[in-house]
Amino acid sequence: MRLIVRFAQEHKDTFEIVDVFDEKIERQEVSKEKPLVDSIMTKYPSAIWMERKISDEFGIIFNRAFDTRPTIKHERFPKELFPMRKDFQDKALEYSNFVPYKYEEIDGEGIFVVPVGPIHAGVIEPGHFQFSQAGEEILHLEVRHFYKYRAIEKMVEGKNPRAIKPIVERISGNESIAYQIALFEILAEASRVEIPESKKRHYFALLELERIIHHLTDLGFIPNDAGFASALAFMSKLAEEARRTMHHLTSHRFGFGAINEETTLDFDYLNEFVLSLQKEVEFFEKWIEGIPSVWDRFDTTGRLNPKKATKYGVVGLVARASGIAVDQRATSGWHEQYGYQMQLGKKGEVADRFRLRIQEIYNSITMIEAFAHQDEEQFTFKSFNDGEYMSRVESSIGELFLYLNIQNGVVERMVVRDPSFINWQVFHTTIYKDIIADFPLINKSFDLSYAGSDL
Amino acid sequence: MLKFWYKRAKTGLVTETHELTSEQKELKSAIKKRFAGSLTIRMVDSGSCNACEAECNALSNPYYALERLGISFVASPRHADVLLVSGVMTANMYHHVWDAYEQVPSPKWVVTIGDCTKDLGVFEKTFAIKGVDLPVSYHIKGCPPTPQDLIEGLLGFLRS
Repeated sequence: MRLIVRFAQEHKDTFEIVDVFDEKIERQEVSKEKPLVDSIMTKYPSAIWMERKISDEFGIIFNRAFDTRPTIKHERFPKELFPMRKDFQDKALEYSNFVPYKYEEIDGEGIFVVPVGPIHAGVIEPGHFQFSQAGEEILHLEVRHFYKYRAIEKMVEGKNPRAIKPIVERISGNESIAYQIALFEILAEASRVEIPESKKRHYFALLELERIIHHLTDLGFIPNDAGFASALAFMSKLAEEARRTMHHLTSHRFGFGAINEETTLDFDYLNEFVLSLQKEVEFFEKWIEGIPSVWDRFDTTGRLNPKKATKYGVVGLVARASGIAVDQRATSGWHEQYGYQMQLGKKGEVADRFRLRIQEIYNSITMIEAFAHQDEEQFTFKSFNDGEYMSRVESSIGELFLYLNIQNGVVERMVVRDPSFINWQVFHTTIYKDIIADFPLINKSFDLSYAGSDL
Repeated sequence: MLKFWYKRAKTGLVTETHELTSEQKELKSAIKKRFAGSLTIRMVDSGSCNACEAECNALSNPYYALERLGISFVASPRHADVLLVSGVMTANMYHHVWDAYEQVPSPKWVVTIGDCTKDLGVFEKTFAIKGVDLPVSYHIKGCPPTPQDLIEGLLGFLRS
């Protein structure tokens, strides 16, 4: 059984802990006077961050938890505040005293620590990586995040479900289309409307285009971090062309605002683009397969053990590169009729994740071609019925989970579980005994979102 | 490998307006006059959605090839003339961004990019958001600003 998310919410007299698995949902009431719950982090390591975050947000304590350090509450964040509780409505924060964060570090003769970030040497998002090193070899890495914590889940509370769309589509810029589809599926369910098949074909064609852009960007940056810059020049050209295609179709380079009741796509344009793209990627594949110095860096580097991946409940391309068949597109069954085929890697190394990105682009192209059609069906949302709604969408990173609790017509609680939130937690296991210079390479081969994970 | 060189010759130069437009010429000459030919930028994300970063990265792709105008992104604030800031400035990034600002040698300028940095864009104030309170010299709007907006914005900054 795979844990998707563990989250908390507040009711009038109690808290509630909800565990969403792939096969079932479990709930338990927690008293407000004595908020104590059994920890599941030993069995499900991906719950480590989830439980630490719940403690920060609600002040709920987990029995037998082996890690209780703060997540969203950084050094100067007042520890006695529980911001997701309903009685907390402050819009400003007074910093409190600086309390140092206790990093996981390895002691021993000759072992030293390399702290990296939160501000990195490139144009990338902030996050902190703390390496314990024995010479060049990495013994341990701790990933520490939540520098970008904007409290999105709190921001949307009390708003009309429709009004939160501009916020939701900007949770993570690279996954905007996926977030929009996840929210739209919930809105459709809440207003008891079925999204017409033809509209779905438009939405999911855009999602595949988003995936293509993401993969193309990575296919350039991964070899670039191995010192092969001409791959970046080649791929960043294609990524720019794909982005311009997105702009042509949606009037926005990232597709912000693209998913709505009126969405219609210029499929002729899109198909012409993917047809030319197919040839370019085929050329790229042949070319880069013949560069041994690149594979010297890719092979055996950053191996994600399939057993570990399963234990952590890893999702998305990272899981599939380790041979684990997890893909929301397969689970829903809808994509199959349009030519979806799961692509799997074997060893879970940088090389597998790199090759898998190429294979997924081919499959996305196949699907986009099959999605093409003229659209005539119309639909609109009316009012939204109160209730709890969940949706899952396979973003370019992996399975995205969205939960919306609507009460009295407004958002009572929103929960976002970005695929990155799970995959970041397994990241440190892949880096053991690799050298520190391989870190950028492995990081790029995962290419996770910081904004989506931090919220 | 031979095939690659053949492809390269066949593709040719895709850089748009590789014969510089009058705007780009102005940008280049302003950089030459005021920054001895090279304007160095340290980009810092104070809590964005990553779209602004993606567009800054796009500036280096063959279509825009920003470096030919003498502008480059540098790894350390100590090598920078300009701190380019994106995002809403979260409470958890606040001190780190100010640290980076302190590390930029004078004379220095702060250019903000994206609607978030000005009035939080579509976001709203929460306890976790501080908002950008650096001494800002110039703002480039857009959500996110396109690479073209960024180039024009940098020219606007140099003119101001």
